[in-house]
Amino acid sequence: MANIFWVTCPKCRGEFYCHTQELRHKGIKLLCPYCSHQFLDEESPRIME
Amino acid sequence: MGKNLHDFLSQLEGQLQHDLVRVEQTVSPAQFEVTALLQHLEEMKKFPALFFEKPLNLKGKPSRFPLLSNFFATRQRCALSLGMSADDAKLALSLEYARREEKLISPVTVSTKEAPVKEVVKRGDDADLYEFPIVRHHAMDPAPYIDMTPVMKDPEQGFYNVAFLRNMVKGPRRLGIHMSPRHNWQIHRKNEEKKRPTPVAIVVGHHPAFYLGALNVSPFGVDDYARIGAVMGEPLRLTASETWGEDFMVPADAEIVIEGHVLPNVKEVEAPFGEFTGYYGPQRLRPVIEVTAITHRRNAVFQHIFVGHRDNWVLGGIPKEGSLFNLIRGIVPTVKAIHFPISGCCRFNCYVSVDKKIDGETRQAALAALAGCDFVKHVVVVDADIDVYNEEQVMWAMATRVQADQDVDIIKNAKGNTLDPSQTDDIMTAKMIIDATRPVQRPFAARVEVPKEALAKTRLEDFISPAILERLPKA
Ligand SMILES: [Zn+2]
Repeated sequence: MANIFWVTCPKCRGEFYCHTQELRHKGIKLLCPYCSHQFLDEESPRIME
Repeated sequence: MGKNLHDFLSQLEGQLQHDLVRVEQTVSPAQFEVTALLQHLEEMKKFPALFFEKPLNLKGKPSRFPLLSNFFATRQRCALSLGMSADDAKLALSLEYARREEKLISPVTVSTKEAPVKEVVKRGDDADLYEFPIVRHHAMDPAPYIDMTPVMKDPEQGFYNVAFLRNMVKGPRRLGIHMSPRHNWQIHRKNEEKKRPTPVAIVVGHHPAFYLGALNVSPFGVDDYARIGAVMGEPLRLTASETWGEDFMVPADAEIVIEGHVLPNVKEVEAPFGEFTGYYGPQRLRPVIEVTAITHRRNAVFQHIFVGHRDNWVLGGIPKEGSLFNLIRGIVPTVKAIHFPISGCCRFNCYVSVDKKIDGETRQAALAALAGCDFVKHVVVVDADIDVYNEEQVMWAMATRVQADQDVDIIKNAKGNTLDPSQTDDIMTAKMIIDATRPVQRPFAARVEVPKEALAKTRLEDFISPAILERLPKA
Protein backbone atom coordinates (compact mmCIF):
# COMPACT_ATOMS: atom_id res chain seq x y z
CA MET A 1 0.00 0.00 0.00
CA ALA A 2 1.10 3.57 -0.54
CA ASN A 3 2.46 5.49 2.44
CA ILE A 4 -0.30 6.67 4.73
CA PHE A 5 -0.63 9.12 7.59
CA TRP A 6 -3.20 8.91 10.37
CA VAL A 7 -5.06 12.10 11.31
CA THR A 8 -7.49 13.01 14.08
CA CYS A 9 -10.58 15.07 13.25
CA PRO A 10 -10.39 18.33 15.27
CA LYS A 11 -14.19 18.33 15.61
CA CYS A 12 -15.18 14.75 16.58
CA ARG A 13 -11.71 13.32 17.43
CA GLY A 14 -12.32 10.42 15.04
CA GLU A 15 -9.16 8.90 13.56
CA PHE A 16 -8.65 7.90 9.93
CA TYR A 17 -5.85 7.75 7.38
CA CYS A 18 -4.89 9.38 4.11
CA HIS A 19 -2.55 8.84 1.15
CA THR A 20 0.68 10.67 2.02
CA GLN A 21 1.81 11.57 -1.49
CA GLU A 22 -1.58 12.97 -2.47
CA LEU A 23 -2.72 14.69 0.72
CA ARG A 24 0.11 15.46 3.16
CA HIS A 25 1.12 19.16 3.18
CA LYS A 26 -0.93 19.79 0.03
CA GLY A 27 -3.28 22.44 1.38
CA ILE A 28 -6.23 20.20 0.52
CA LYS A 29 -9.03 19.83 3.05
CA LEU A 30 -9.50 16.30 4.34
CA LEU A 31 -13.00 14.91 4.91
CA CYS A 32 -13.75 13.33 8.28
CA PRO A 33 -15.58 10.06 7.53
CA TYR A 34 -17.39 10.17 10.87
CA CYS A 35 -18.78 13.74 11.06
CA SER A 36 -18.10 15.13 7.52
CA HIS A 37 -16.04 18.00 8.97
CA GLN A 38 -13.48 19.30 6.45
CA PHE A 39 -10.07 20.35 7.73
CA LEU A 40 -6.44 20.78 6.68
CA ASP A 41 -3.98 18.13 7.82
CA GLU A 42 -2.13 20.80 9.84
CA GLU A 43 -5.30 21.31 11.92
CA SER A 44 -5.26 17.71 13.09
CA PRO A 45 -4.43 17.59 16.83
CA ARG A 46 -2.39 14.45 16.21
CA ILE A 47 -0.69 13.11 13.10
CA MET A 48 0.98 9.72 12.91
CA GLU A 49 3.24 9.20 9.91
CA MET B 1 -36.18 -11.45 -23.07
CA GLY B 2 -32.53 -11.91 -22.11
CA LYS B 3 -31.19 -13.42 -18.91
CA ASN B 4 -32.05 -11.20 -15.98
CA LEU B 5 -31.95 -11.03 -12.21
CA HIS B 6 -35.71 -11.37 -11.61
CA ASP B 7 -36.06 -14.68 -13.45
CA PHE B 8 -32.91 -15.98 -11.82
CA LEU B 9 -34.03 -15.19 -8.27
CA SER B 10 -37.31 -17.03 -8.89
CA GLN B 11 -35.34 -20.08 -10.07
CA LEU B 12 -32.98 -19.86 -7.10
CA GLU B 13 -35.80 -20.05 -4.61
CA GLY B 14 -36.94 -23.27 -6.30
CA GLN B 15 -33.46 -24.78 -6.47
CA LEU B 16 -31.81 -23.95 -3.14
CA GLN B 17 -34.25 -23.72 -0.27
CA HIS B 18 -33.48 -21.17 2.43
CA ASP B 19 -30.58 -19.83 0.35
CA LEU B 20 -32.34 -16.54 -0.34
CA VAL B 21 -33.80 -14.94 2.77
CA ARG B 22 -36.43 -12.25 2.31
CA VAL B 23 -36.30 -9.59 5.04
CA GLU B 24 -39.63 -7.84 5.41
CA GLN B 25 -38.70 -5.41 8.19
CA THR B 26 -37.55 -1.91 7.34
CA VAL B 27 -33.76 -1.50 7.31
CA SER B 28 -31.56 1.53 6.87
CA PRO B 29 -28.63 0.58 4.61
CA ALA B 30 -26.99 3.99 5.01
CA GLN B 31 -26.95 3.52 8.80
CA PHE B 32 -24.92 0.27 8.62
CA GLU B 33 -27.98 -1.91 9.39
CA VAL B 34 -27.53 -4.14 6.33
CA THR B 35 -23.84 -4.78 6.93
CA ALA B 36 -24.49 -5.34 10.66
CA LEU B 37 -26.91 -8.15 9.74
CA LEU B 38 -24.41 -9.60 7.27
CA GLN B 39 -21.66 -9.49 9.88
CA HIS B 40 -23.85 -11.30 12.45
CA LEU B 41 -24.58 -14.02 9.90
CA GLU B 42 -20.91 -14.28 8.97
CA GLU B 43 -20.00 -14.86 12.60
CA MET B 44 -22.53 -17.72 12.60
CA LYS B 45 -20.81 -19.05 9.43
CA LYS B 46 -24.03 -18.53 7.48
CA PHE B 47 -23.99 -16.89 4.08
CA PRO B 48 -27.49 -16.60 2.62
CA ALA B 49 -28.34 -14.03 -0.03
CA LEU B 50 -30.53 -11.39 1.63
CA PHE B 51 -33.39 -9.70 -0.18
CA PHE B 52 -34.50 -6.61 1.72
CA GLU B 53 -38.09 -5.82 0.79
CA LYS B 54 -38.29 -2.45 2.54
CA PRO B 55 -34.97 -0.64 2.69
CA LEU B 56 -34.82 3.10 3.31
CA ASN B 57 -33.35 5.37 0.67
CA LEU B 58 -30.77 8.09 1.29
CA LYS B 59 -33.56 10.53 2.22
CA GLY B 60 -34.53 8.21 5.08
CA LYS B 61 -37.80 7.33 3.31
CA PRO B 62 -38.99 3.89 2.14
CA SER B 63 -37.25 3.22 -1.17
CA ARG B 64 -39.19 1.93 -4.15
CA PHE B 65 -36.22 -0.37 -4.81
CA PRO B 66 -35.66 -3.59 -2.85
CA LEU B 67 -32.04 -4.39 -2.06
CA LEU B 68 -30.14 -7.60 -2.85
CA SER B 69 -27.12 -8.39 -0.64
CA ASN B 70 -24.51 -11.12 -0.35
CA PHE B 71 -25.54 -13.00 -3.49
CA PHE B 72 -22.03 -14.14 -4.42
CA ALA B 73 -21.01 -15.36 -0.95
CA THR B 74 -21.29 -19.05 -1.89
CA ARG B 75 -19.83 -21.00 -4.78
CA GLN B 76 -23.08 -22.95 -4.97
CA ARG B 77 -25.04 -19.84 -5.97
CA CYS B 78 -22.31 -18.94 -8.46
CA ALA B 79 -22.61 -22.43 -10.00
CA LEU B 80 -26.37 -22.01 -10.37
CA SER B 81 -25.72 -18.63 -12.03
CA LEU B 82 -23.90 -20.46 -14.83
CA GLY B 83 -26.71 -23.00 -15.12
CA MET B 84 -24.69 -25.68 -13.31
CA SER B 85 -25.58 -27.89 -10.36
CA ALA B 86 -24.75 -26.67 -6.86
CA ASP B 87 -22.78 -29.93 -6.50
CA ASP B 88 -20.35 -28.76 -9.20
CA ALA B 89 -19.24 -25.70 -7.28
CA LYS B 90 -15.54 -26.55 -6.92
CA LEU B 91 -13.07 -27.01 -9.78
CA ALA B 92 -15.84 -27.95 -12.25
CA LEU B 93 -17.30 -24.45 -11.85
CA SER B 94 -13.98 -22.74 -12.47
CA LEU B 95 -13.23 -24.91 -15.49
CA GLU B 96 -16.66 -24.26 -16.95
CA TYR B 97 -16.03 -20.54 -16.52
CA ALA B 98 -12.68 -20.88 -18.30
CA ARG B 99 -14.26 -22.94 -21.10
CA ARG B 100 -16.93 -20.32 -21.72
CA GLU B 101 -14.51 -17.42 -21.48
CA GLU B 102 -12.46 -18.69 -24.42
CA LYS B 103 -15.14 -18.08 -27.05
CA LEU B 104 -16.53 -14.56 -27.31
CA ILE B 105 -20.25 -14.08 -28.02
CA SER B 106 -20.96 -10.71 -29.64
CA PRO B 107 -23.75 -8.65 -28.08
CA VAL B 108 -27.00 -7.87 -29.89
CA THR B 109 -28.89 -4.59 -30.03
CA VAL B 110 -32.50 -4.06 -29.03
CA SER B 111 -34.52 -0.87 -29.32
CA THR B 112 -35.03 1.28 -26.25
CA LYS B 113 -38.74 0.39 -26.43
CA GLU B 114 -37.92 -3.29 -25.97
CA ALA B 115 -35.34 -2.71 -23.23
CA PRO B 116 -36.63 -3.38 -19.68
CA VAL B 117 -34.01 -1.03 -18.25
CA LYS B 118 -35.77 1.84 -20.07
CA GLU B 119 -39.13 1.33 -18.39
CA VAL B 120 -38.37 4.37 -16.23
CA VAL B 121 -36.10 7.14 -17.59
CA LYS B 122 -34.93 10.13 -15.56
CA ARG B 123 -32.68 12.78 -17.06
CA GLY B 124 -30.84 15.76 -15.63
CA ASP B 125 -32.10 16.98 -12.26
CA ASP B 126 -34.82 14.30 -12.23
CA ALA B 127 -32.06 11.71 -11.83
CA ASP B 128 -31.61 11.42 -8.07
CA LEU B 129 -29.20 8.95 -6.47
CA TYR B 130 -30.79 9.60 -3.08
CA GLU B 131 -33.84 7.54 -4.15
CA PHE B 132 -31.73 4.37 -3.93
CA PRO B 133 -31.12 2.23 -0.82
CA ILE B 134 -27.36 2.66 -1.07
CA VAL B 135 -25.30 0.83 1.53
CA ARG B 136 -22.73 2.32 3.87
CA HIS B 137 -20.55 -0.69 4.59
CA HIS B 138 -17.89 -0.15 7.26
CA ALA B 139 -17.22 2.27 10.12
CA MET B 140 -14.54 4.33 8.37
CA ASP B 141 -16.43 4.68 5.05
CA PRO B 142 -17.33 8.38 4.78
CA ALA B 143 -20.56 7.81 2.82
CA PRO B 144 -22.74 5.17 1.23
CA TYR B 145 -21.02 3.58 -1.76
CA ILE B 146 -22.30 2.00 -4.96
CA ASP B 147 -19.89 -0.88 -5.53
CA MET B 148 -21.04 -2.53 -8.75
CA THR B 149 -19.77 -2.20 -12.33
CA PRO B 150 -19.06 1.03 -14.21
CA VAL B 151 -18.74 0.50 -17.98
CA MET B 152 -16.42 2.66 -20.08
CA LYS B 153 -15.68 2.66 -23.81
CA ASP B 154 -12.23 2.98 -25.30
CA PRO B 155 -12.19 6.24 -27.29
CA GLU B 156 -9.78 4.89 -29.92
CA GLN B 157 -10.80 1.29 -30.52
CA GLY B 158 -14.42 1.34 -29.38
CA PHE B 159 -14.39 -1.70 -27.09
CA TYR B 160 -16.23 -1.61 -23.76
CA ASN B 161 -14.61 -2.32 -20.42
CA VAL B 162 -16.66 -3.45 -17.43
CA ALA B 163 -15.11 -3.54 -13.95
CA PHE B 164 -16.09 -3.50 -10.29
CA LEU B 165 -15.16 -0.04 -9.01
CA ARG B 166 -16.27 1.84 -5.93
CA ASN B 167 -18.42 4.97 -6.25
CA MET B 168 -18.76 7.29 -3.26
CA VAL B 169 -22.07 9.13 -3.06
CA LYS B 170 -21.24 12.85 -2.93
CA GLY B 171 -24.59 14.36 -3.89
CA PRO B 172 -27.87 13.53 -5.66
CA ARG B 173 -26.05 13.61 -9.01
CA ARG B 174 -22.41 13.41 -7.98
CA LEU B 175 -20.20 10.36 -7.34
CA GLY B 176 -16.54 9.80 -6.62
CA ILE B 177 -14.84 7.00 -8.54
CA HIS B 178 -11.74 5.02 -7.60
CA MET B 179 -9.77 3.47 -10.44
CA SER B 180 -6.55 1.58 -9.84
CA PRO B 181 -4.19 1.67 -12.84
CA ARG B 182 -6.00 -0.97 -14.84
CA HIS B 183 -8.31 -0.91 -17.84
CA ASN B 184 -10.94 1.75 -17.01
CA TRP B 185 -8.17 3.98 -15.70
CA GLN B 186 -6.43 3.73 -19.09
CA ILE B 187 -9.64 4.74 -20.88
CA HIS B 188 -10.12 7.72 -18.56
CA ARG B 189 -6.48 8.73 -18.97
CA LYS B 190 -6.79 8.76 -22.78
CA ASN B 191 -9.81 11.08 -22.55
CA GLU B 192 -8.29 13.24 -19.84
CA GLU B 193 -5.17 13.87 -21.93
CA LYS B 194 -7.49 15.46 -24.53
CA LYS B 195 -9.44 17.30 -21.79
CA ARG B 196 -12.55 15.22 -22.64
CA PRO B 197 -15.00 13.78 -20.11
CA THR B 198 -15.23 9.99 -20.02
CA PRO B 199 -18.72 8.55 -20.56
CA VAL B 200 -19.57 6.00 -17.87
CA ALA B 201 -22.62 3.80 -17.24
CA ILE B 202 -22.87 2.01 -13.89
CA VAL B 203 -24.78 -1.27 -14.04
CA VAL B 204 -26.48 -1.81 -10.68
CA GLY B 205 -28.23 -5.18 -10.74
CA HIS B 206 -28.21 -7.79 -13.51
CA HIS B 207 -28.23 -11.59 -13.86
CA PRO B 208 -25.36 -12.85 -11.63
CA ALA B 209 -23.57 -14.37 -14.65
CA PHE B 210 -23.19 -10.79 -15.94
CA TYR B 211 -21.09 -9.94 -12.90
CA LEU B 212 -19.10 -13.20 -13.02
CA GLY B 213 -18.39 -12.39 -16.66
CA ALA B 214 -17.31 -8.86 -15.75
CA LEU B 215 -14.49 -10.36 -13.70
CA ASN B 216 -12.84 -12.04 -16.68
CA VAL B 217 -9.09 -11.66 -16.81
CA SER B 218 -8.91 -10.68 -20.48
CA PRO B 219 -6.16 -8.38 -21.69
CA PHE B 220 -6.96 -4.73 -22.35
CA GLY B 221 -8.62 -4.44 -25.75
CA VAL B 222 -11.05 -7.36 -25.52
CA ASP B 223 -14.68 -6.21 -25.58
CA ASP B 224 -16.10 -7.07 -22.15
CA TYR B 225 -19.68 -7.12 -23.46
CA ALA B 226 -18.65 -10.03 -25.74
CA ARG B 227 -16.79 -11.75 -22.90
CA ILE B 228 -19.76 -11.34 -20.56
CA GLY B 229 -22.02 -12.81 -23.24
CA ALA B 230 -19.65 -15.78 -23.45
CA VAL B 231 -19.89 -16.40 -19.69
CA MET B 232 -23.67 -15.87 -19.69
CA GLY B 233 -23.96 -18.35 -22.57
CA GLU B 234 -25.99 -16.01 -24.78
CA PRO B 235 -25.47 -12.64 -26.49
CA LEU B 236 -25.74 -9.77 -24.05
CA ARG B 237 -28.63 -7.53 -25.11
CA LEU B 238 -27.62 -3.88 -25.41
CA THR B 239 -29.61 -0.73 -26.00
CA ALA B 240 -28.76 2.90 -26.67
CA SER B 241 -27.91 5.05 -23.67
CA GLU B 242 -29.91 8.17 -22.87
CA THR B 243 -26.87 10.42 -22.82
CA TRP B 244 -24.91 9.33 -25.90
CA GLY B 245 -27.46 7.32 -27.91
CA GLU B 246 -25.96 4.51 -29.99
CA ASP B 247 -22.45 5.86 -29.45
CA PHE B 248 -22.54 4.25 -26.01
CA MET B 249 -24.59 1.10 -25.50
CA VAL B 250 -25.82 -0.15 -22.12
CA PRO B 251 -27.15 -3.55 -20.98
CA ALA B 252 -30.84 -3.71 -21.87
CA ASP B 253 -31.77 -6.29 -19.22
CA ALA B 254 -30.05 -4.56 -16.28
CA GLU B 255 -32.06 -3.53 -13.27
CA ILE B 256 -30.64 0.00 -13.06
CA VAL B 257 -28.18 1.97 -15.20
CA ILE B 258 -26.66 5.22 -13.94
CA GLU B 259 -25.16 7.30 -16.75
CA GLY B 260 -22.70 10.13 -16.30
CA HIS B 261 -19.40 11.72 -17.20
CA VAL B 262 -16.13 11.30 -15.37
CA LEU B 263 -14.99 14.91 -15.39
CA PRO B 264 -11.54 15.55 -16.86
CA ASN B 265 -8.88 16.88 -14.52
CA VAL B 266 -11.22 17.13 -11.52
CA LYS B 267 -10.18 15.30 -8.37
CA GLU B 268 -11.69 15.44 -4.90
CA VAL B 269 -11.03 13.63 -1.63
CA GLU B 270 -12.59 10.17 -1.60
CA ALA B 271 -12.52 7.24 0.87
CA PRO B 272 -11.32 5.70 3.27
CA PHE B 273 -13.19 2.67 1.99
CA GLY B 274 -13.25 -0.88 3.35
CA GLU B 275 -11.68 -2.81 0.48
CA PHE B 276 -11.40 -6.40 -0.70
CA THR B 277 -8.32 -6.96 1.44
CA GLY B 278 -10.38 -6.55 4.62
CA TYR B 279 -8.60 -3.23 5.31
CA TYR B 280 -9.53 0.33 4.47
CA GLY B 281 -7.92 1.97 1.47
CA PRO B 282 -6.72 5.45 2.48
CA GLN B 283 -8.45 8.73 1.72
CA ARG B 284 -7.07 10.07 -1.54
CA LEU B 285 -7.77 12.32 -4.50
CA ARG B 286 -10.02 10.66 -7.00
CA PRO B 287 -12.05 11.63 -10.10
CA VAL B 288 -15.68 12.68 -9.96
CA ILE B 289 -18.73 11.55 -11.95
CA GLU B 290 -21.53 13.97 -12.81
CA VAL B 291 -24.70 11.92 -13.31
CA THR B 292 -26.64 12.72 -16.50
CA ALA B 293 -29.43 10.12 -16.43
CA ILE B 294 -30.78 7.14 -14.51
CA THR B 295 -32.87 4.43 -16.17
CA HIS B 296 -34.38 1.38 -14.51
CA ARG B 297 -36.98 -1.37 -14.64
CA ARG B 298 -40.30 -0.49 -13.06
CA ASN B 299 -39.67 -3.15 -10.39
CA ALA B 300 -35.89 -2.74 -10.31
CA VAL B 301 -33.75 -4.38 -7.62
CA PHE B 302 -30.77 -2.45 -6.26
CA GLN B 303 -27.74 -4.70 -5.71
CA HIS B 304 -24.51 -4.29 -3.80
CA ILE B 305 -21.49 -6.41 -2.89
CA PHE B 306 -20.32 -6.83 0.72
CA VAL B 307 -16.75 -5.79 -0.05
CA GLY B 308 -13.98 -7.30 2.07
CA HIS B 309 -16.12 -10.36 2.83
CA ARG B 310 -17.09 -13.62 1.10
CA ASP B 311 -19.54 -11.92 -1.26
CA ASN B 312 -16.60 -10.05 -2.76
CA TRP B 313 -13.99 -12.80 -2.43
CA VAL B 314 -15.81 -15.79 -3.94
CA LEU B 315 -16.93 -13.72 -6.91
CA GLY B 316 -13.36 -12.64 -7.60
CA GLY B 317 -11.80 -16.08 -7.19
CA ILE B 318 -13.79 -18.24 -9.58
CA PRO B 319 -12.83 -16.45 -12.83
CA LYS B 320 -9.16 -16.46 -11.83
CA GLU B 321 -9.12 -20.16 -10.96
CA GLY B 322 -10.42 -21.26 -14.35
CA SER B 323 -8.16 -19.02 -16.41
CA LEU B 324 -5.05 -19.92 -14.44
CA PHE B 325 -5.82 -23.65 -14.53
CA ASN B 326 -5.88 -23.51 -18.33
CA LEU B 327 -2.66 -21.50 -18.40
CA ILE B 328 -0.84 -23.89 -16.05
CA ARG B 329 -2.11 -26.98 -17.88
CA GLY B 330 -0.43 -25.70 -21.05
CA ILE B 331 2.90 -25.75 -19.22
CA VAL B 332 2.45 -28.53 -16.65
CA PRO B 333 -0.03 -31.10 -18.04
CA THR B 334 -0.05 -32.99 -14.71
CA VAL B 335 -1.86 -30.13 -12.90
CA LYS B 336 -4.91 -31.52 -11.11
CA ALA B 337 -6.67 -28.61 -9.40
CA ILE B 338 -6.38 -24.98 -8.40
CA HIS B 339 -8.05 -22.94 -5.68
CA PHE B 340 -8.00 -19.38 -4.41
CA PRO B 341 -8.98 -19.88 -0.75
CA ILE B 342 -11.14 -17.54 1.30
CA SER B 343 -8.20 -17.05 3.69
CA GLY B 344 -6.34 -15.14 0.96
CA CYS B 345 -9.34 -12.99 -0.05
CA CYS B 346 -9.61 -15.42 -3.04
CA ARG B 347 -6.80 -13.41 -4.62
CA PHE B 348 -3.49 -13.40 -2.76
CA ASN B 349 -3.07 -17.12 -1.95
CA CYS B 350 -3.25 -19.76 -4.65
CA TYR B 351 -3.19 -23.51 -4.01
CA VAL B 352 -2.26 -25.77 -6.95
CA SER B 353 -2.11 -29.56 -6.97
CA VAL B 354 -0.03 -31.55 -9.43
CA ASP B 355 0.45 -35.24 -10.02
CA LYS B 356 4.16 -34.63 -10.04
CA LYS B 357 6.40 -36.79 -12.23
CA ILE B 358 9.50 -34.57 -12.33
CA ASP B 359 10.75 -32.33 -9.51
CA GLY B 360 10.87 -29.03 -11.45
CA GLU B 361 7.18 -29.21 -12.42
CA THR B 362 6.07 -27.59 -9.20
CA ARG B 363 8.10 -24.42 -9.79
CA GLN B 364 6.87 -24.26 -13.39
CA ALA B 365 3.26 -24.45 -12.21
CA ALA B 366 3.85 -21.83 -9.53
CA LEU B 367 5.62 -19.42 -11.88
CA ALA B 368 2.77 -19.73 -14.38
CA ALA B 369 0.25 -18.87 -11.64
CA LEU B 370 2.28 -15.83 -10.61
CA ALA B 371 2.75 -14.64 -14.19
CA GLY B 372 -0.88 -15.22 -15.13
CA CYS B 373 -2.46 -13.06 -12.43
CA ASP B 374 -0.79 -10.15 -10.69
CA PHE B 375 -3.06 -10.47 -7.64
CA VAL B 376 -1.36 -13.75 -6.68
CA LYS B 377 1.29 -13.33 -3.97
CA HIS B 378 1.77 -16.81 -2.54
CA VAL B 379 1.53 -20.06 -4.47
CA VAL B 380 1.49 -23.33 -2.55
CA VAL B 381 1.96 -26.37 -4.76
CA VAL B 382 0.84 -29.70 -3.32
CA ASP B 383 0.63 -33.29 -4.52
CA ALA B 384 -2.50 -34.74 -6.04
CA ASP B 385 -3.40 -36.55 -2.78
CA ILE B 386 -4.14 -33.16 -1.22
CA ASP B 387 -7.53 -31.51 -1.78
CA VAL B 388 -6.77 -27.87 -2.54
CA TYR B 389 -10.32 -26.95 -1.45
CA ASN B 390 -9.51 -28.30 2.03
CA GLU B 391 -7.20 -25.79 3.68
CA GLU B 392 -6.47 -28.10 6.61
CA GLN B 393 -4.97 -30.60 4.16
CA VAL B 394 -2.93 -27.90 2.41
CA MET B 395 -1.52 -26.70 5.74
CA TRP B 396 -0.75 -30.31 6.70
CA ALA B 397 1.22 -30.72 3.49
CA MET B 398 3.09 -27.51 4.28
CA ALA B 399 3.82 -28.75 7.77
CA THR B 400 5.12 -32.13 6.70
CA ARG B 401 6.55 -31.74 3.18
CA VAL B 402 8.30 -28.36 3.35
CA GLN B 403 11.85 -27.52 4.36
CA ALA B 404 11.92 -23.75 4.20
CA ASP B 405 15.54 -23.49 3.10
CA GLN B 406 14.93 -25.80 0.13
CA ASP B 407 11.28 -25.46 -0.77
CA VAL B 408 10.53 -21.74 -0.49
CA ASP B 409 11.43 -19.22 -3.20
CA ILE B 410 10.92 -15.48 -2.97
CA ILE B 411 10.71 -13.17 -5.97
CA LYS B 412 11.19 -9.49 -5.21
CA ASN B 413 9.90 -6.37 -6.97
CA ALA B 414 7.03 -7.90 -8.93
CA LYS B 415 3.78 -6.07 -9.68
CA GLY B 416 1.39 -6.28 -6.76
CA ASN B 417 -1.76 -4.51 -5.65
CA THR B 418 -1.84 -1.01 -4.25
CA LEU B 419 -4.49 -2.01 -1.69
CA ASP B 420 -2.32 -4.69 -0.07
CA PRO B 421 -1.42 -3.10 3.29
CA SER B 422 1.73 -5.22 3.66
CA GLN B 423 3.32 -3.68 0.57
CA THR B 424 5.96 -1.09 1.36
CA ASP B 425 5.87 0.14 -2.24
CA ASP B 426 2.78 1.52 -3.95
CA ILE B 427 3.01 -0.96 -6.84
CA MET B 428 5.69 -3.56 -6.20
CA THR B 429 5.43 -6.60 -3.98
CA ALA B 430 7.27 -9.80 -3.09
CA LYS B 431 5.95 -13.14 -4.31
CA MET B 432 6.49 -16.50 -2.63
CA ILE B 433 6.44 -20.04 -3.94
CA ILE B 434 6.08 -22.87 -1.44
CA ASP B 435 6.70 -26.32 -2.84
CA ALA B 436 4.77 -28.60 -0.48
CA THR B 437 5.11 -31.68 -2.66
CA ARG B 438 7.04 -34.82 -1.88
CA PRO B 439 10.38 -35.12 -3.68
CA VAL B 440 10.52 -37.51 -6.62
CA GLN B 441 14.23 -38.24 -6.43
CA ARG B 442 14.57 -39.58 -2.87
CA PRO B 443 12.53 -42.02 -0.78
CA PHE B 444 9.84 -40.29 1.26
CA ALA B 445 7.65 -41.42 4.15
CA ALA B 446 4.18 -42.84 3.48
CA ARG B 447 0.91 -41.37 4.81
CA VAL B 448 -0.78 -43.37 7.52
CA GLU B 449 -3.92 -45.15 6.44
CA VAL B 450 -6.45 -47.56 7.91
CA PRO B 451 -6.67 -50.59 5.57
CA LYS B 452 -9.30 -50.01 2.87
CA GLU B 453 -10.76 -53.52 3.40
CA ALA B 454 -11.31 -52.74 7.07
CA LEU B 455 -13.02 -49.47 6.22
CA ALA B 456 -15.31 -51.24 3.78
CA LYS B 457 -16.40 -54.05 6.07
CA THR B 458 -16.54 -52.18 9.40
CA ARG B 459 -19.64 -50.00 9.27
CA LEU B 460 -20.11 -47.27 11.85
CA GLU B 461 -23.85 -47.83 12.23
CA ASP B 462 -23.27 -51.47 13.22
CA PHE B 463 -21.40 -50.32 16.33
CA ILE B 464 -22.84 -46.91 17.27
CA SER B 465 -26.55 -46.17 16.95
CA PRO B 466 -27.61 -43.60 14.32
CA ALA B 467 -29.30 -41.57 17.11
CA ILE B 468 -25.99 -41.19 18.96
CA LEU B 469 -24.12 -40.44 15.72
CA GLU B 470 -26.61 -37.67 14.99
CA ARG B 471 -26.01 -36.11 18.42
CA LEU B 472 -22.21 -36.10 18.24
CA PRO B 473 -20.81 -32.56 18.21
CA LYS B 474 -19.06 -31.43 15.04
CA ALA B 475 -15.36 -30.57 15.35
ZN1 LIG C 1 -15.05 14.30 12.61
